[in-house]
Amino acid sequence: MTMAPPLFLALALAYAGLTSLSLAMKRHHDQVMGRKLQPERVRYYRWPGWLLLALSLWVTLTVWPLGLALFMAVGLVAIAGLPLVFLLPYRARLAGRLAVALPVLAMLTWSTVALA
Amino acid sequence: MSPLSITSRTLAAALGGYGLGALAAMALAVTLPMARDQAVIIGIMVAFLLCSGAAIWAFSARSAWQAWAGILAPSLLLGGLYLWGLPA
Amino acid sequence: MNKSFRQSMAWLHTWTGLLLGWLLVAIFITGTSAYFREEITLWMQPEVHDSTLQPGTVELAMAALNAKAPDAKSWDINLPGARQTAVELRWQPAKQPENGGRRRGEQMLMDADSGEVVAPRATRGGNFFYRFHFELYGIDRLWARLLVCLATMFMLIAIISGVITHKKIFKDFFTFRPGKGQRSWLDAHNATAVLALPYHFMITYSGLLLFMTLIMPWGIDAAYENDRRAFFSEVFSRGEDSAQPGSPGQMVAVGPLIEQTETRFGKPVERIQLTNPNRDNAQITLRVNRDPAVTDRQRGGDPTQVFQGNTGELIDTRIPANDPVSPGWRIYNFFTSVHMARFADPLTRWLFFLFGVAGSAMTVTGMLLWVSKRTQQLRRDQQPDRALKMVNGLNMASITGLMLAIAAYFLANRLLPVTLAAREDREIQVFFIVWLVSLVHGLLRPNRHGWIEQVAAASLLWLAIPAVNIFTTASHLFTPLAWQHAAIASFDLVCLILAALGGYTLWRLQRKPLPAKARGARAPRRANTASEQPAGESP
Repeated sequence: MTMAPPLFLALALAYAGLTSLSLAMKRHHDQVMGRKLQPERVRYYRWPGWLLLALSLWVTLTVWPLGLALFMAVGLVAIAGLPLVFLLPYRARLAGRLAVALPVLAMLTWSTVALA
Repeated sequence: MSPLSITSRTLAAALGGYGLGALAAMALAVTLPMARDQAVIIGIMVAFLLCSGAAIWAFSARSAWQAWAGILAPSLLLGGLYLWGLPA
Repeated sequence: MNKSFRQSMAWLHTWTGLLLGWLLVAIFITGTSAYFREEITLWMQPEVHDSTLQPGTVELAMAALNAKAPDAKSWDINLPGARQTAVELRWQPAKQPENGGRRRGEQMLMDADSGEVVAPRATRGGNFFYRFHFELYGIDRLWARLLVCLATMFMLIAIISGVITHKKIFKDFFTFRPGKGQRSWLDAHNATAVLALPYHFMITYSGLLLFMTLIMPWGIDAAYENDRRAFFSEVFSRGEDSAQPGSPGQMVAVGPLIEQTETRFGKPVERIQLTNPNRDNAQITLRVNRDPAVTDRQRGGDPTQVFQGNTGELIDTRIPANDPVSPGWRIYNFFTSVHMARFADPLTRWLFFLFGVAGSAMTVTGMLLWVSKRTQQLRRDQQPDRALKMVNGLNMASITGLMLAIAAYFLANRLLPVTLAAREDREIQVFFIVWLVSLVHGLLRPNRHGWIEQVAAASLLWLAIPAVNIFTTASHLFTPLAWQHAAIASFDLVCLILAALGGYTLWRLQRKPLPAKARGARAPRRANTASEQPAGESP
């Protein structure tokens, strides 16, 4: 199962990226952060969001051959995104915290396995 | 939309749309400048897109007449293209 | 984009979704299970669970084939892997039917430890659901496939019209508002549909492609002057026909050849093919597992090495990348390979399973949304009309009823006597009987009570499967044997997860019904304009 760690990382990055993009929207920013979104700060969430998604794509390229990787990268958006969507109305703050915790955890896992 | 309009558009989408797709598949298969097996598969893939596109058109056109016209006209063109592309 | 275009697309989306929606739910659910059809078949044959690949397995396989079919034209050995525990032995008998009938191969399963032939209980296994999802069952194959194709085209149109009509597709990307009845169902439908949209489009479009020779063969006829055989041989070329068997000869040991191939490709050999075994012109072809879905030609896709069967000399090494494929066919191969998750390793396969679950959820929420919307539009003392009751009942049959029937199928596998005549058919009959009962029940009780009853029954049956396993097999969750092979334990775990999901659904359903105010009683006039949307428009 050597593809499990990078897959976990790709998912974690996709989740983080999607969360960041959601924070660029008023409704979800209020849900997660508990305070109003300042319009000029929107890009502080958009740019990192897309960057994280791009990183997720980059990781999937190490797991699958090119054509399939592109498809799977988009598919991972669904697998990372659906839990986010269903978490936001119930546990918005947790959803936000996971966006930080999951990539960290995934990086630790990957480096541990890679170095082992 | 009146029941008559719906029926007419449904027929346009189903029969007309399928015919459009089939003619596209045939026309592309014989006119595309490539190996015939490749022309065939490209024709098929385009055909399916046209079928669904025809349905979208049939139900968004301003009238049932327009629905039919928008499907029959390209069908005729493709039919002509097919006949032109047939080996002599 | 003007309002009436969106409205007409909303209308189209509703109708193309609703008319064959029940069929689409069934196709999605059974199709999703088909990603694991081999694993399901494995679980349904406990007799082969206790079999593990050993160093000596290949020799045992050769010995078994030598004992059973020494004069066969070819042997085929499929070694245990992620998807199977036993060794699958196939051979082509020396004598073929005279009048050009289909070449019938023979096969048997062999225990990888002992070399004994295993006779597992007769079952269609996961292949029943696999076949069902594109040709149904018990109906004339041609008409069934045409119906499935029609549903597929409806689905494609529903996808396109759905995207067009979804006004705030980006703004509402992450929106889910629970506890708001129809609005919640709409959000769930949007989420599962939009987030996995590329998958849904791929699975639908590729479904049409897979049936292209049935539903759009006209281009083939046009370009090949009605000679379809020429088309097939150009595109889907079979392997070369094996040479006539020579005189008897000694076979070289296969073990060293396997080592050679495994070293060459860095992967375990999964399949061994021997043509003209025990002859002096024998050939041994060793295949390793392919990489995940590729765009290469269908049959040439395995990395293989071909050896002379008597001397062990390497004749040929074939690698997928060397087989050129034109761009048009690359696209076709990509779509069809991804549809079937061909060549997928277990982890990738799980991901596809999840995509399929998302697709199933999309179709299910769509159907439930329609009922929820119409129900909420009823006035306080108004009863649902016959159409609404019928749709509600049919929803029950196609959603909870189908899940009930699938669970019953698995239970039948464990509970029906192993020696029962026509066992395969009996298991399938149980499936259909339970499904029929759920349909009747749904139509008789198309209300909250009916749903509660069906969800409760389904949860119970899914929970029963791992439980019954304990009493009927030696490979249930409390044995080490089940955990030796991921597929076997995973099956029981998925059953438990489904039972838990059912239990949670039951808990939500048992809570007080929505207050009459939210259900549509229009006391204050202002609430009307907010909640009474034109059909299909997202709020």
